[in-house]
Amino acid sequence: MDSWVIGMMLGVSVFLGAIALVGFLWAVKNGQFDDEQKFLSATKFDGEDELNDAVNQERKKEELKKNYKPE
Amino acid sequence: MSNKVSCSHCHLEFSKEVMIVEGENYFCCNGCQGVFHLLNEEGLDSFYEKSKNIKLTPPTENFEDSSTFNTKSFYEQFVKVNSDGFSEVSLIIEGIHCSACVWLNEKALHKMDGVIEANINFTNNKATIVWADDVVKLSQIIDMIRSIGYNAFAYDASNQEIHANKERKAYYLKMAVAIFASMNIMWIAVAQYAGYFSGMSGDVKTILNIAEGILATPVLFYSGWIFFRGAYYGIKTKVVNMDLLVATGATLTYVYSIYITMMEHGEAYFDSVSMIITFVLIGKFLEVLSKKNAADTLDIIGKNIPSEVKILKDNTISTCRLDDVKVGDIVVVSSGERVLLDGEITKGSGTFDESNLTGESEPIYKDVGDSVVSGTTSIDADIQFRATKDFKHSTLSNLVTLLESSINKKPKIQQMANRLSEYFSTAILTFAFLTFVVWWMWPHSFETSFMVGISVIVIACPCALALATPVATLVGLGLGASRGILFKEAAQLETMAKIDTLVLDKTGTITVGKPEVIKEHIYKEFDKELLYSLVKSSNHPIAHGISEYLKDDNLDEILLDEFTQIPALGMISTCRGLKLLGGNKKLLEDNDVKVEFESDNSVFYFVIDEEVVAIYELRDKVKDGAKELVNSLKNKGIQTIMLTGDHVNIAKKVALEVGIENYNYNQTPQSKAKFIEALHVENKHVVMVGDGVNDILALAQADIGIVMGSGSDIAVEVGDVVLLDDSLKSLADAFKISRTTFFLIKQNLYISLGYNAITIPLAMAGYVIPLVAAISMSVSSLLVVGNSMRIRYKWKNN
Repeated sequence: MDSWVIGMMLGVSVFLGAIALVGFLWAVKNGQFDDEQKFLSATKFDGEDELNDAVNQERKKEELKKNYKPE
Repeated sequence: MSNKVSCSHCHLEFSKEVMIVEGENYFCCNGCQGVFHLLNEEGLDSFYEKSKNIKLTPPTENFEDSSTFNTKSFYEQFVKVNSDGFSEVSLIIEGIHCSACVWLNEKALHKMDGVIEANINFTNNKATIVWADDVVKLSQIIDMIRSIGYNAFAYDASNQEIHANKERKAYYLKMAVAIFASMNIMWIAVAQYAGYFSGMSGDVKTILNIAEGILATPVLFYSGWIFFRGAYYGIKTKVVNMDLLVATGATLTYVYSIYITMMEHGEAYFDSVSMIITFVLIGKFLEVLSKKNAADTLDIIGKNIPSEVKILKDNTISTCRLDDVKVGDIVVVSSGERVLLDGEITKGSGTFDESNLTGESEPIYKDVGDSVVSGTTSIDADIQFRATKDFKHSTLSNLVTLLESSINKKPKIQQMANRLSEYFSTAILTFAFLTFVVWWMWPHSFETSFMVGISVIVIACPCALALATPVATLVGLGLGASRGILFKEAAQLETMAKIDTLVLDKTGTITVGKPEVIKEHIYKEFDKELLYSLVKSSNHPIAHGISEYLKDDNLDEILLDEFTQIPALGMISTCRGLKLLGGNKKLLEDNDVKVEFESDNSVFYFVIDEEVVAIYELRDKVKDGAKELVNSLKNKGIQTIMLTGDHVNIAKKVALEVGIENYNYNQTPQSKAKFIEALHVENKHVVMVGDGVNDILALAQADIGIVMGSGSDIAVEVGDVVLLDDSLKSLADAFKISRTTFFLIKQNLYISLGYNAITIPLAMAGYVIPLVAAISMSVSSLLVVGNSMRIRYKWKNN
């Protein structure tokens, strides 16, 4: 077996794993695991409405940021 | 009970007649009705479905004016400006029952213009709200929370708490990276070791080495950063600590492995680098995780002090910020409210509960001219008093300051492992260096000598040492928790094992804390329902004791025609044309009833139409197992002392009964704390056991404060250990668990040291091949973890 095959497979699998790791790190930094109770019951309150709300909230924030003039 | 319906909002059940009917919906109050309509209008009615009709607290309608939230002083104290320039406040939301409540609050706030973020933590009800101050004011946000049936008040999210959360999060991230990389390195290492025995081509080996090297890099420099930092601070303060050993060991190994990879001969040790960092990091994390947050304690105490008082000015009552009350202002206190300032009564009279300050459960009667003390609670008194001190100098404020300083001053006994690691690290680094020098002097190549030197550090891997304490204490914590003994911080287990003095509070700790009937004298047959109804109408502890005693007879309560309670004496009532008297001897004398009865106990006389029909003797009983506890502690060499706010006779009797030789009576909260401080001066390690607010100073001062679970909230918050079942057997168990755990910690440390005593000479002699080093590292860690698990079995055999 050519050694580049080993190298490639190692690279690909570690890369795939790293993507998952980065996702996890992002979630931790984002505060998604801060409150275990809320995190566990989050699935109950998830749906299309919630997704829309989250997007609207983001938009609202951007909007406010643009117009905001702190005294 | 078929006519009971539940309120459409709060779901509490009431009979149909009292409800507000509106179509199919019933409401228990206007507040609930208001919230119900609001939620429907806002399209938030799916809240009821989400909350599964859980019972809620009906909304309060009388709030203090929310405009106080907009004042400059409030903004200065609580509102921060975040990096985007938006305002941010930390609130505690009251009335959260379920995760749907969190959902509702967040939703309602998000719907508001100008609110950028509302994040509520379900576990501790703390919320962070970010808003644009030019669009919406904080008072409007608070109004919104109130309008949907909750309440909010600000708290000062101290730096300590933010810091603790940040630290914890940083550890999560570092551990995630370290564990991910280590796991990958391990399966690459399997290929390496397989190749070591069965042979593999040089370029495959190099590829594996490079892969391991890439994975080990973030572990060393990202996850392992705290060790470099720790080592740096260690060097700065001239202490050789474990961090220095880990940092130098890992870095040297890492550099050497890179060299090997480039030279393409020899064995790389990347797996050891990542394993050391990962294991020690986990050990450190366990310690951080079980650290008690002192900031939380102070928040709870602050929450218990209202921020406003009612004052009388120009014949009108107005609210005033507590800090703004000046000496000479007239303060109004109604029954059931807390007195927040010191002063002298100018109008009204009534009884006060001073147990917070004195520990005496007996209410105290006060009249015009008497002084009231902050921190006490009015039981039935509607009074006005002239403030003689401002809040900063009041008794209550002094107590809080004292408490804060005691919590911060709490003595910390250095953990054994920390002390040990200093010597250990110094020794290993010296050995490694000597080994390298000796090998190089007695001609070997630089490369070989360097490798042998490194193998000493690698094999002396501090993993086992780092895990010895946290793993054992975690098992100990679990064992305690399963028995209703909550240790709030892992390190306390070790501290408690070194205790030599036990200080006990009397009421509620040694004794049950409630008077119980021990003897009943009946002089004439009477309808016991009369007595039962009489004592049921009072909330005095003695009356309560008698009603508890009579409860077993299955008596019905009858309606009394007239009822007056006379403070410090008893009660007078008429019923079915009979005149009833119930109370102490003084009450009988005042009403010209003659009686001759002597007893050491509290006595309750029951009189029907001026004839004594029954006498009850009551006493605060000693808890089961008190004597055994004192005895067994004596055998262990622990000195036991009792402190009480009661007077000498009662103290003496209880002390005699349980066999305590040292006792102090007439103690105030401050004198209890002073007593403990004096013990510290004598170099004693002290445990304080208590249950009430009057014990908190002493609890905070002691090395370990143990609190009965039924004690006051503040005491439970301040204490380090909580006994959920209030029993003295749990107290004995707590001692046992801590000693067993400490024994195991010591054993773990011996195991890891003994292990090193064997392997280090081997490494110095150059007999250690990489595989052995890696295996020995894992085995020593496993040994320590396995040994800790033994606590459970050890406990069962006891």
